[in-house]
Amino acid sequence: MAFVRRLSTSLTNKPTLFSTPYIPSPLRSQNVAGITRRLFSAEAVSHPSNRVQVYISRASDPYLNLSIEHFLLQKSPPDSVVLLLYTNRPCIVVGRNQNPWVEINLGLLKQSGVVDSHGAKSDVQLVRRRSGGGTVFHDAGNVNYSVICPPAAFDRDKHAAMVVRALSALDIRGGSARVNERHDIVLDVAAPSSPDKDGAKKTQTFKISGSAYKLTRQRSLHHGTCLLASPNLPLVGPLLRSPAAPYIKARGVESVRSPIRNVGLADNAAFEEAVVAEFGAMYGNADPEVIEEGEAAGILEDVQVVAKGYAELKSPEWIYTQTPQFTFSTHPTDEDPRARPPLPDDLPSDFRATMTVRHGQIIDVSGTSLLESLNTTYLHHVTDWKSKVGSEPVGKWLNGLFGVGEN
Amino acid sequence: MASIARCLRSARPSTLSRLAQTPCVRSNWRPASLRAFSASPIRDIRKYTKDHEWIDLNADKTAGVIGISEYAAEELGDVVYVELPEEGKEVSAGDAIGAVESVKSAADINAPIACKVTGINLALEEKPGTINQVPEDDSHGGGWIAKVQVGEQGVKDFDALMDLEEYKTFTGSEHH
Repeated sequence: MAFVRRLSTSLTNKPTLFSTPYIPSPLRSQNVAGITRRLFSAEAVSHPSNRVQVYISRASDPYLNLSIEHFLLQKSPPDSVVLLLYTNRPCIVVGRNQNPWVEINLGLLKQSGVVDSHGAKSDVQLVRRRSGGGTVFHDAGNVNYSVICPPAAFDRDKHAAMVVRALSALDIRGGSARVNERHDIVLDVAAPSSPDKDGAKKTQTFKISGSAYKLTRQRSLHHGTCLLASPNLPLVGPLLRSPAAPYIKARGVESVRSPIRNVGLADNAAFEEAVVAEFGAMYGNADPEVIEEGEAAGILEDVQVVAKGYAELKSPEWIYTQTPQFTFSTHPTDEDPRARPPLPDDLPSDFRATMTVRHGQIIDVSGTSLLESLNTTYLHHVTDWKSKVGSEPVGKWLNGLFGVGEN
Repeated sequence: MASIARCLRSARPSTLSRLAQTPCVRSNWRPASLRAFSASPIRDIRKYTKDHEWIDLNADKTAGVIGISEYAAEELGDVVYVELPEEGKEVSAGDAIGAVESVKSAADINAPIACKVTGINLALEEKPGTINQVPEDDSHGGGWIAKVQVGEQGVKDFDALMDLEEYKTFTGSEHH
């Protein structure tokens, strides 16, 4: 493919943007006195003349891609526009102010039969991003786009529309793409059923791309997913349905469930090329800098800000204790009067429990006395509830809800 | 907050007229002893940042209250969560001290001046919509975000901020 060739040669033929001697090329190894040095640095990314920057990361580590993205958000010149494209290995990404115990079936996450790009079984990683919004699933069939621009130019739909234009240019056959009122990209497809009595064709709408935003003092970031050809879609629904959700009332942000589907494009590179072209049409062409997997690892080693952001994203503190306060209760309460699913028959008949969890830590427990020792425990530190609550059936049930231990 | 406020303006009507009509609700928050010992009229002075935060400074310039402006609250859209500052944290002007989430956007709240966070408005966690209703209310039940202790640097930073008239002009000019 022409595009792939052009990309790979752009690594050796210096892109015009980086051709002046004053700007070190940020993403390339250079041999200096026999020592390989990486020059991905704040200096290059933040050089004022780098007004339009385009990167394609070949790393598949979601924490690393998000950290490179965050680095670009923090360090690119205030008036520049930056496009970053990346594709992660299978992971579930929750929004900044979400609750993983509500959003995700954590037990299924550990044992799910998700496949990677080679069709081999793969783990699914749990990630909390720095932007707002709801929970999404990523895998090798999903390309993420990210646009960083000055806040004055920020518009929630502008770059989703850019991606819609890219999809149109690719001549997607399945249906027509548009940006909906939730700033997501949806595909309207003709329903398989026969036309209704007016002869009008029915259409069904599926989400193919979700958006989230992060706004800092100087910069705005809009990133989104685009489901091109994920082999794992049947698993996404079950993964994003937590058995604990009916018992939890949470502050913060709850996801809005939408039916999803693939665009049906097996060629990620074609999509990348189309998005880069549309971005170029908006802001002026810039040759994409490809960050090879090994180079991305080098950035992580050499650029302290990236390493710091990476360590933070991977830490259980960020993933779990950033969760807004929530209350788990086995029975309806004044604050959360919803009817609960029936408890298992083998629980003690008088069993009831209410736990309040703040910053991931249990700060209040009431109900059956066997739970009292749980106070001050961090929820994500509990690896088996059976030993914690001293009751086999209760422990087993809680293990199932929170996705730990043996069921 | 500058980010959102600037970008959504085309989609939302100006709030300037509202801003002008809405009386500023001021609380009685200030150390009670000050009243007894000060002969001059005691009034908190409110100033604004270009990032759309406001800060009230008490008469002896030792303590303040921080929030986001009505203009920003309007532009943000429905606030669904407020990440409150960490109590005890010392920050410089412009540092992110918390964040507001609305419409899938996590937007930083920045410290208007150098200060130390001494109290936070916990009620916002449960009722984030208060930010939309009464963002400039620093009383109990209002949309204020944090109470802060202010030192020398903070007072210097404060002097450089905009008063209400200047801020109104500033937000007006953002509409061009």
